[in-house]
Amino acid sequence: MAAIRRKSNGMKHTLAFWMFVLPSLALFTVFFLIPLVLSIAYSFTDYDGWKTMNFVGLTNFIELFQDKSFYSSLGRTFVYTLFSLPFKVIIPLLIAALVCSDRVAFKSFSRTLIYIPVLLSALVVGITINWMFSTEYGLVNYIITCFNGKPLDWALNQYLATFVISFASNWASTGFYMIIFIGGIKGISNDLYEAAAIDGCNTTQTFFKITVPMLAPTTFLAVLLSTVNLLKEYALVQGITQGGPGDKTTFIIQYIFGQGFNQMRYGYASAISFIVMIIFALIAFVQFKMSNEGGEN
Amino acid sequence: MKVEKKTSKLLTALSIVLAIAMIFPIFWLICSSFKQPNELFKYPLKLFSSDPTFQYYKSVLSGGFMNYVKNSLFLAVVGTLITLAISAMCGYALAIYRFEIKYTNLVFAVFLLGTLIPGETLTVPQVSVISALGLYNNIWGVILPVVTTTTGIFMFRQAYMAIPLSFVEAARIDGCPEWKIFTHVMMPLGSSSFVTLAIFSFMWRWNDYILPMLILSNQKNFTIQLAIKNFIGNTGVDWSSILSASVMSVIPVIVVFVILQKYIIGGVSAGGVKG
Repeated sequence: MAAIRRKSNGMKHTLAFWMFVLPSLALFTVFFLIPLVLSIAYSFTDYDGWKTMNFVGLTNFIELFQDKSFYSSLGRTFVYTLFSLPFKVIIPLLIAALVCSDRVAFKSFSRTLIYIPVLLSALVVGITINWMFSTEYGLVNYIITCFNGKPLDWALNQYLATFVISFASNWASTGFYMIIFIGGIKGISNDLYEAAAIDGCNTTQTFFKITVPMLAPTTFLAVLLSTVNLLKEYALVQGITQGGPGDKTTFIIQYIFGQGFNQMRYGYASAISFIVMIIFALIAFVQFKMSNEGGEN
Repeated sequence: MKVEKKTSKLLTALSIVLAIAMIFPIFWLICSSFKQPNELFKYPLKLFSSDPTFQYYKSVLSGGFMNYVKNSLFLAVVGTLITLAISAMCGYALAIYRFEIKYTNLVFAVFLLGTLIPGETLTVPQVSVISALGLYNNIWGVILPVVTTTTGIFMFRQAYMAIPLSFVEAARIDGCPEWKIFTHVMMPLGSSSFVTLAIFSFMWRWNDYILPMLILSNQKNFTIQLAIKNFIGNTGVDWSSILSASVMSVIPVIVVFVILQKYIIGGVSAGGVKG
């Protein structure tokens, strides 16, 4: 009797489980899993997002591997990511150490202000920074001319334009990673700092010998998150250069959207997406491996 | 024993200077939005306008901005309510039935795919799914695809795993049906997760850009972000309008943050919730 009751309870619980999970699972299936399957399916067709859809085999992939624009936008994305990454992680780490120090007053005031840029939409971040860096009548160029410098062509020089995008991206994420690092620093046992103080370590030694090594897992999280976010930078660029001058700040996501939604080549765009997805996953995997090996040493 | 207690004026000054430098671009944006073009585009630049004007706020508002605000609010509020409901249910089930039902973790792993694969790489087929469902140029077409968040499900799963299962068992012995255990016993216990996710979800939806840009083509359906983007024309940027529109889009989020910041900071440091 008891066994039967337990069994029917089990049925009830299984049913309840699926009822609870169903809304999320259904929406996730329709708007994520099906697109994932479609993405792979489209990449073997010449789908134009409208009527034409023929199976074309590997044509898209063959074209992709010979597509100079694909390589250059992917290359630009990597250069941009590698250039921005150290700043994305190191600056928030230093700021977090500063606003966690016992020797600093008004800490929560500083933290609040530093976090505020995180609240802005990527588009508005781009606009705000672009406004400061505009070539004519921008604040930065004004300051340069005040010091008798020559105003810089922030929009038309590809390196300067990339710098402005990177600056904006860093500005908007510093507060976020600062909070992550503050969480990490708070997790470090105070005993370590007391022992260091007894041994006569100064602030710099304590920072490099205790804070930095103890923060390794947090730093890994910050590196992983910022790599992915840099690789897929898009909305921010729309507020600054929109990919220009020419296509010199067109990163890979914008290239995909351009092929898909402007050229109406859904099939080709899906093939690029598929390759990019694999590249992103590989990068995350390599970083994960490297951090694990670093941990063992 | 506390190590060093004495505050250093130098370090304090450094942190305050840094904080002010971080906020300065927003301050500069706000100050610029009150300037007339003859001050906006004239050297020497001044921080405060000598003749401040609300003219561009007025012209942006009379250009239908409140309609965009209404659309953004609808997206943010409705999207957030759905996110809260479905994430809480899903996270709850993944936590509570984890010993009883063997494939619970498998279901969870499916949702984790959502964090492994960047959504941007799936945007192209997502748009065709949305069109196939007849949701093109419809506000629901930008709500339904984004309401499932792995972050939210994860957050509730963690919260409910921290609550002893004996609460559920006690309610079962009292004959409480499974659904009521959730709504009457467990939901109130997860209230802080509801608040945290509500704030984040609201900000995500308020700031959403990519999907609205691709799905909402009719100007009367535009959200605030699209309206702002619209001021960046092909021939040039309408700076006077873009400055005041940006300021208006930012103010509500900053106000919400300043009031509720302890939840936001808590959410970021606990789980690395994307800001």
